[in-house]
Amino acid sequence: MTEQYRADVLICTCPACTKAGAPEMQHALKAEVERRGLAGEVRLVETGSRGFCSMGPVVIIRPEGILYCQVHDVDVPELVEETLVKGRIVERLTYKEPETHKAIPHYDEIPFYDKQMRVVTRNCGLINPQNIEEYIAVGGYQALGKVLTSMAPKEIIEEVKKSGLRGRGGAGFPTGRKWEFTRNAPGDVKYLVANGDEGDPGAFMDRSLMEGDPHAILEGMTIGAYAMGAHKGYLYVRDEYPLALRNLNIAMEQAREYGLLGQGILGSSFDFDVQIVRGAGAFVCGEETALLASVEGHAGNPRPRPPYPAQSGLWGKPTNINNVKTWANIPVVISRGADWFNQIGTETSKGTMIFSLVGKVNNTGLVEVPMGITLRELVFDVGGGMRDGKQFKAVQTGGPSGGCIPEELLDLPVDYEHLKEAGSIMGSGGMIVMDENACMVDIARYFLDFLKDESCGKCTPCREGIRQMLSILTRITEGQGEMGDLQVLETLAPVVKEASLCGLGQTAPNPVLSTLRYFRDEYVTHIVDHKCPAGVCKELIEYYVIEDLCTGCGVCRRKCPQEAISGEKKEVHVIDPALCIKCGVCFDVCKFDAVGVR
Amino acid sequence: MPKLKSIEELQKLRGQLQKDIKARTEMNTTVTVGMGTCGISAGAREVMHAILAELETRGIDAHVTTVGCIGMCSKEPLVDIQQGDEPRITYGNVTPAMVPRMIEEHLIQGNVVEEWVVGRVTGQEG
Amino acid sequence: MATLIIDRQEVHAEEGQTILEVAKENGIEIPTLCYHPLLEPYGACRLCVVEIVAGGRLGLQTACTYPIEEGLEVLTRSPSVIEARKVVLGLLLSRTPNVELIQDLAREYGITEPPFPTDTPDERCILCGHCVRTCHELVKAYVLNFSERGIERRVGPPFLEKTRDCIGCGACTIMCPTGAIETVLEKEAVYKAKPLGPTSAIWVPSMQAIPNVPVIDTDVCIRFRQNDRTEGEIVDACGACQMVCEADAINFDQQDEILELDVGTVIVATGFEMWDPAQLSQYSYGKSPNIITGLEFERLSNAGGITAGEILTAEEKKPEAVAIIHCVGSRDHNAHEYCSRFCCMYSLKQAHLVRDKTDAQVYEFYMDMRTFGSGYEEFYERVQKEEGILMVRGRGAEVSVLEPQNGQKYGKLRVKGEDADLGRPVRVDVDMVVLSSAIEAPHDADEIASMFGLSRKPDGFFAEAHPKMRPVETNTDGVFLAGVTQGPKDVPDTVAHAGAAASMALALMDKGEVTISPQTAVVDEILCAGCKTCISLCPYTAISFIEEIDEKGVARVNEALCKGCGTCAAACPSGAITARHFTDQQILAQIEGLFRVPA
Repeated sequence: MTEQYRADVLICTCPACTKAGAPEMQHALKAEVERRGLAGEVRLVETGSRGFCSMGPVVIIRPEGILYCQVHDVDVPELVEETLVKGRIVERLTYKEPETHKAIPHYDEIPFYDKQMRVVTRNCGLINPQNIEEYIAVGGYQALGKVLTSMAPKEIIEEVKKSGLRGRGGAGFPTGRKWEFTRNAPGDVKYLVANGDEGDPGAFMDRSLMEGDPHAILEGMTIGAYAMGAHKGYLYVRDEYPLALRNLNIAMEQAREYGLLGQGILGSSFDFDVQIVRGAGAFVCGEETALLASVEGHAGNPRPRPPYPAQSGLWGKPTNINNVKTWANIPVVISRGADWFNQIGTETSKGTMIFSLVGKVNNTGLVEVPMGITLRELVFDVGGGMRDGKQFKAVQTGGPSGGCIPEELLDLPVDYEHLKEAGSIMGSGGMIVMDENACMVDIARYFLDFLKDESCGKCTPCREGIRQMLSILTRITEGQGEMGDLQVLETLAPVVKEASLCGLGQTAPNPVLSTLRYFRDEYVTHIVDHKCPAGVCKELIEYYVIEDLCTGCGVCRRKCPQEAISGEKKEVHVIDPALCIKCGVCFDVCKFDAVGVR
Repeated sequence: MPKLKSIEELQKLRGQLQKDIKARTEMNTTVTVGMGTCGISAGAREVMHAILAELETRGIDAHVTTVGCIGMCSKEPLVDIQQGDEPRITYGNVTPAMVPRMIEEHLIQGNVVEEWVVGRVTGQEG
Repeated sequence: MATLIIDRQEVHAEEGQTILEVAKENGIEIPTLCYHPLLEPYGACRLCVVEIVAGGRLGLQTACTYPIEEGLEVLTRSPSVIEARKVVLGLLLSRTPNVELIQDLAREYGITEPPFPTDTPDERCILCGHCVRTCHELVKAYVLNFSERGIERRVGPPFLEKTRDCIGCGACTIMCPTGAIETVLEKEAVYKAKPLGPTSAIWVPSMQAIPNVPVIDTDVCIRFRQNDRTEGEIVDACGACQMVCEADAINFDQQDEILELDVGTVIVATGFEMWDPAQLSQYSYGKSPNIITGLEFERLSNAGGITAGEILTAEEKKPEAVAIIHCVGSRDHNAHEYCSRFCCMYSLKQAHLVRDKTDAQVYEFYMDMRTFGSGYEEFYERVQKEEGILMVRGRGAEVSVLEPQNGQKYGKLRVKGEDADLGRPVRVDVDMVVLSSAIEAPHDADEIASMFGLSRKPDGFFAEAHPKMRPVETNTDGVFLAGVTQGPKDVPDTVAHAGAAASMALALMDKGEVTISPQTAVVDEILCAGCKTCISLCPYTAISFIEEIDEKGVARVNEALCKGCGTCAAACPSGAITARHFTDQQILAQIEGLFRVPA
């Protein structure tokens, strides 16, 4: 009997789900499906991530639209029996609402997905990224076909301009205008570059996209090449993304095989091919001029602009660089039209944005939402609210280049302008939710510490300025701060912001400046009272036993690596602050919550 | 795979491939087969295979899903057909032999085969 | 052509200029550190930031990189510019607190102390990139580059290891604005940085040079060295001199011209070279920059020299004690046995100059005082009596370099000698030692000798025809000697000698013909077998080989050169050469005559 699949079981193979046990589960699933004789009617498909990363390994069953969370190999027999054979829901594997614990088996009913609008990530988690035919089946390369047969380059650029699409790499420059500059720059040789370097710590939007839907990026680049008159493109992918590299390579090979990349695309006279260039561990190479230097074979040091890459980029030729998310938007803009696209979003920021929503929310993962959604909706609806019932304190957006936004601004609509006004940036889409246990001074210090290692060191304000700001913040977190330090920070930070050569230096002061703006009292408490209200800065906190709750079980005493806790059995224990190294083990092991931090 | 030489070839290929992923695309029509223990023992799996084969032969786009026991065990195998906004029709005591006519008349011609109907749901539940 | 507004005044600019260039042209000062007119703009130090208020990318931008546009409005000293420069200088001063250049710039902006804690007091590098960019863009050796990232960024060769790709040109050391680089010269390095010699590959040798124009030493010039080293691959390295020459007077393509002249009279005036005192290690020449030769002292004391005539040690201070040592390398069985003749006079003169220009105590170590000429003895008496000059009759035997004391860079010099009058060893510690070192024949004297058929005397200088009677002639007629080429002599004697050579040459040329002795050899060209034995034996290079006579080539004697010694006649295997007036028959006849003497 020929295969007539009635159901597709979509298994996420992203690195997170892989780590959580997806390969073993997949193996078991294959065996069980075979054993039950379902191999001809139920198909197992490996896909990229659908974004619900805290729930991995994730399995989605179509056409029913059931989403199962944290599926492991031991769950497989039940899953196959109940759902694949009998069509029944296995409730224990479904998503549960955090407060009510209500089961929501269908993914379009899960609030995490409810407010999302998956445009750029339309195919992620839905198709097998290593099979070009699935991409074609869902309509892939139709936009390219349309462009090659019925649109002139200028028309394409006008359409992109009309859509209002802005660069998704962080700066938010209008994409259509950028394309126009490149197109109009004199010269026959032009280049395209896709920035897949994604350096923000904890960010993985670009990774998921490159892993889950590589063809969308390739199609976008090919359309752009046609519009701008380029014939060679470079995909700069950080080397720490092996699966993304593999899937991109497979996609490129298959696209060439099918005549969708390379010479004579779709039988036309248009040639365009792409080469992958791997990054090698430098955050600064996400900055466009440093990236260009890296592609040219030099060390990733940024260059002054002007001249801009559109005039003089790779090897002095006009070059258009866009983030991979921007490129993936292009096929949608072309196939659904600019008018459709610019209905989504706000006045100044059109379309959707992909955020990595992480931190102390219940639902962490990748979300794609229309611009203009409020922070409150993001955190409490899509994110499912604060974890463990903690209190919201701030949300950090834009990675090391961004700032922290406090509770009073929760109703801020998320778009380029509003975030900038609030002292942060959209950036590449990082969104870290923090609760009362986050120390804002420590957060600023953390990002500066990251940037100190990643700065290329070419220009004085960034290289020396970050080092000095970091040393001040470190002293403050160690209880050695002085009130004068705040003045120094407020003098130094703006100059680093204004006078640095590239975006890294120019945005490095943002975490400091935004936390000073909204959480100045926390700084003062550190300096004057030598206390860390969030209980984070080791030098300033004290672990102590809450007498009323202590049962004298002695677990903490036994676990303490410094033998700093003393007490008799069944009697209230005591922590000796002189010996305590603030490792927090007692806090973690006490079953009675009898260890406090102050 | 020889190179695609035109947009027409691409569209043709897409048409061919769409069938392959129809489980993942939105469809207007869903055929649901009761697959509880009662259903299975009554022969629901054979009915499902017959439906799959018939849809394939006739080139009809529809989702085929399974569902647990809905209670009308005596009437198993049960087959539900939901077409767009139309009321959901439940056929009872379905055998593989009944499948061609069911597909032809209900899905293609839009005429419910009244004699086999055991239930109707008019309210739309999304 | 574009019009822009800088500091509220309208200025005009050419396409392709930067704000900094236009500002400079219009007398507007903008401080810079990483900018250099010979290098591509870098934009790293951020000191030259200016505020663009309209017509371009708003905010602070570096003037050295920003290309001008029509309608640009720039402020070079707005409050945010001043603030930015202050912070940048403060940061740099905290990084390199002991670099004078940064201290001076910071002071201009009101910063006298490093505003941030500084834990790198010895750091001198400000990462301006002059050295790297010079090595890449000008020298094209591609040796220096930046390693590491962020605060660890540093300049050096690959992996911070010594590399043979470094050509030791020293350009990085010269271009570094803070003195952070030291070029350490190894033995094989071509460029030997002598303190009193050239300071760059293109230089005017002295103020009295004729012609008074700079000359390029192609052994040292980076452009020529790179061309040679890469066998023509890199032909346009550096060229900095040409870039800055406003008269466009530098032409790297000049070639040597080879002139061929037919002459009958030659005057050899090839002079002398200084013997290298490093060959006698007891004088420690080369171990301290304060031990110099007499010639180097002349350069030092010359008003057109590097100290404008002041007598200064290498620490640029006046010496408190100077020792002058005679006969270094002369009258020495271990070096040259002869006397270099004119050093005694100049040593006395130099002692006198030292006293004239400084308050230093001068110790003059001598064996004999050879002040023989007109007025010389009187001069010697005068100098002897001069205050502050101590004449020590005894050889200066050894110079050693002491350890530097009290923050000095170079140690004092200890001279040991003997005072033969007192019969005691002498030891003095001085700040400068002048070695009156020997002169010697030029190193290529042998080549000149074989060219003109000259002999060399045991002292290495060319042999005159007769030591007493014929001081300017040689054994080769028509070739004369002038000056020290014939032996050490001072200026009056050289002038006399050269004058004599000139007169004799003129007389010869005037005569138009030479009278030669009739006793010359002649080759019978029919008998000559062309074996060339005679040619190699003739001490006067008087025989040449003539090609293609009778299909074999024969020897022919130049009667003007032949001295009639008869060597060729005796050697010729074919008996083809006859010594005129000394034929075999004549000799036999003489022998016969001897035997006829009556008893």
